[in-house]
Amino acid sequence: MAGSRSLLAYAVTRAALAIPMLLILLTAVFFILRILPGDPVLALYGGREPPREVLEEARRQLGLDKPPWVQYVSYMSGVFRGDLGLSIGEFYHGRPVIGEIANRLPATVELSIGSMFIASVIGILTGVVGGARRDTKTDVAVRLYGTIIYVIPIFWLGILFQIVFAIWLGWLPPHGRWQGTNYPRTVTGMYTVDSLLEGNFDHFVIAARHLVLPCLTLGLVLSGFFTKTVRANMIRTMTADYTEATRARGVPDRQVVRRHAFKNALVPVVTLLGLQFAILFAGAVLTEKTFSIDGIGLLLLQSVVSKDMTMIQGVVVIYAAIIVLISLIIDILGAAIDPRIRL
Amino acid sequence: MLYAVVAVIVVAIILIGTVAVILSTPAPRKYQLDLWFNSDGHYGDTEDELATVLKNSIEACGKVTVTLKSEIWADFRQSRNQGELPFFLLGWYPDYSDTDDYLAPFLASTGSPSFGSFYSNATVDQWVTDEQTTTNAAIRADRFTKLQDKLAADVPYIPLFSGYSEAAYVSNVLNVELHPIMFKLFIIDKPNSAEFNLSTTDDITSLDPALAYDYFSIELVNQIFDTLITYEPVETRLIGSLATTVPTVANGGVSADGKNYTYVLRPNLKFSDGTALNATVVKRSIDRAIRINDPGGAAFLLYDFGKLGRNAANGNNSNPGAIEVQPDDLTITFHLSAPVAFFNDLIAFSVSSIVPWNYNQNARQPDVVGTVVGSGPYTLTGYVPNQQFVLEKNALYNTPSLYSTFGIPTIPVDDTVTVNLRSGGSTALKQDLSVTPKLADVVYRTLTPDDLRDLQTQATSLGLTVDIAASPFIRYLVFNVQPGNPVAITDLRVRQAIAYSVDRQAIDRDVFRNNVDPLYSLVPPGFSFSAPYYKPVFQTEYGDAACADANTIWTQLGYATSFGTRDLIARDL
Repeated sequence: MAGSRSLLAYAVTRAALAIPMLLILLTAVFFILRILPGDPVLALYGGREPPREVLEEARRQLGLDKPPWVQYVSYMSGVFRGDLGLSIGEFYHGRPVIGEIANRLPATVELSIGSMFIASVIGILTGVVGGARRDTKTDVAVRLYGTIIYVIPIFWLGILFQIVFAIWLGWLPPHGRWQGTNYPRTVTGMYTVDSLLEGNFDHFVIAARHLVLPCLTLGLVLSGFFTKTVRANMIRTMTADYTEATRARGVPDRQVVRRHAFKNALVPVVTLLGLQFAILFAGAVLTEKTFSIDGIGLLLLQSVVSKDMTMIQGVVVIYAAIIVLISLIIDILGAAIDPRIRL
Repeated sequence: MLYAVVAVIVVAIILIGTVAVILSTPAPRKYQLDLWFNSDGHYGDTEDELATVLKNSIEACGKVTVTLKSEIWADFRQSRNQGELPFFLLGWYPDYSDTDDYLAPFLASTGSPSFGSFYSNATVDQWVTDEQTTTNAAIRADRFTKLQDKLAADVPYIPLFSGYSEAAYVSNVLNVELHPIMFKLFIIDKPNSAEFNLSTTDDITSLDPALAYDYFSIELVNQIFDTLITYEPVETRLIGSLATTVPTVANGGVSADGKNYTYVLRPNLKFSDGTALNATVVKRSIDRAIRINDPGGAAFLLYDFGKLGRNAANGNNSNPGAIEVQPDDLTITFHLSAPVAFFNDLIAFSVSSIVPWNYNQNARQPDVVGTVVGSGPYTLTGYVPNQQFVLEKNALYNTPSLYSTFGIPTIPVDDTVTVNLRSGGSTALKQDLSVTPKLADVVYRTLTPDDLRDLQTQATSLGLTVDIAASPFIRYLVFNVQPGNPVAITDLRVRQAIAYSVDRQAIDRDVFRNNVDPLYSLVPPGFSFSAPYYKPVFQTEYGDAACADANTIWTQLGYATSFGTRDLIARDL
């Protein structure tokens, strides 16, 4: 009971700390964007520049003529009401920020989950094999794989997969999330999930086929991290005293790996998953661009170049909230697995 | 031993003395020039290459050192407007098909600051006013000639090339016309099919004509909505659309003073939802665009350039009485506060598209199927944001025989168009045509020169046709000539020397694979509205890569050529 209460207290404390952290982040982003050079109103008019009066009225309509602190108060009061404002950039201007993020977030989430699954499975498997067969040829191959795959440019690997699997072999679609005009009924925005919710297996197959190449691309690159981490942890646990004691009692090596070393080697990996999700979101931008997936990675990229301050703020806070939530879940999981973390 | 030491010391003294003498003599001077360009793809992926080729061509004459600098678009625009950029690359796409739109914005004192040149000349201002406020063709031709001559004489800009538009499509698809103003989906014909797929990397900002001011939004607005007058299918001549004819001075539709334009609507016009389209609705629609005056929208073309006014006392609509509806509710007259020679072109622009009576009068109309209602050949029946549009034939389209005299009996030709948006860039478009089965019948715009070349190479094996046509889009260099600005290049001789150095052939060959047309005036020569006025003034005055002429000027200015020993030593040190 004491353990459950301390875990609950730990979780509540971490959750409570997340809110001021997000507010501080949002405040920092807000003012940094207003300090940086670049005029978002000018950027709205891609070609012809209108008369000065038109520009001034545009500034007034967008609220950009007010002092920064007035804009801040107005913006933050909207945030507390769940309103992240309207886009002021040339690509989405006038559209609600929360709406654009909601349109695109499912694509990134779908891509991230699929990629993380592939990264975890391949990375853990190879790491375990490498760690269990330390200093053998298998281990060398695993280490080479872990190093090389992690430094391969995502877009290069993605284009390679498109050429081989889509154009040459014709097995998979080269890009996009869907083919045709008969889209799944929107519930979550993730086509795989929505297809299953409407019980349409054909739709699920279409959505899944479109996910294979992008998830494989991003997942393989990230698997390098897991390979090296799991391998290192495997070696550490395989050489630990309790493992030696287990062997001394005559337990076969396979059982030592499977029942003891493997699980203990995974504990630190679980806690690193949160960090990996942050890296995954960063890598998703390149994957989204390569595979024409309109996720929030591309949204952020377009917002930055068009100085769409409200959209940048909105995407950053959503990103941060997601990372905080995932880290919180991972930390709670880690604390549940390893009570030492809670102390 | 002693002699060896002395010998070493003497040799060292000689060497040090030689280097000191060389370093102390005045170095051959080169002109230092910063060339700025946009780095985030606003003008496409070839900007780095273009800047590099320009740098090389200017440096090739031997007396200039060019440093390349870049910024993302938002910063680039601000720096330009604040006069911080001395010399930079820009592009221009006209809003209306009139030569005025290639000269007035650049050379008039009111417009040049927004291009970062800050060029100002009272005589030039008068010439601009003259050509804008007359319908006399001879006067306009004379002023356009004078303006181009002055452009070459003062060199606030150096025209480089006019761009190209491109489409690649399955070979049996017909009527893929690369119209310079308006790409028409409704004339494309995929034989034995009532529908076709088109892929593009463009996306929209809005399907509300009052807001749409980016390329693809305008393109889709032109498929779903109608204007009073529109363009022929291939040429840039205007014809009646919702109006029966294009008003001119000759037919009495335009008053002699050029301030009154009268359009007569066809009878019994309807929107796709069955509601009536009459002169009252036209007035309401134009006023709506002016009143909303969305930031980033094109309404200022109507109330400022078009001289309809925007009057706060009149509810931010056009000036009272500026738009007059006759009792027959078919005739509508626009009374301008000053003559505007190109008013018909503004009325043909997408911001003048007519929207239904019940459109939101003070804010954007949502881009939702069922609420986007026009009178054009297509209706919007499917929209997945950032991914796909589906357009279907408007059963109530008013003028299906509009192009019958041009060999297209009925429009729209195909009943359904699916437009797929590819955020993956040119590579995604190429892939759409390379896979089996193809994911697109037509791919339009934004193909890089390399991808274009790849498709041309594989055209036969893939069963494609690749079309490249002249585009009204122009690229040019800008000099900041603002008096008193420390970064400005106010010495005309410097600008002339650089104008001599530019090598347009190298740009065409090395950057764009021979797909662009070298440009020797800001006015592009290849269009019916500009060809009569085009004068290749920069070819006559400066040519290309004319280093001998450039170096004559540099020598007069005191700049040397090539490296001497001092430069070699200094560079290594």
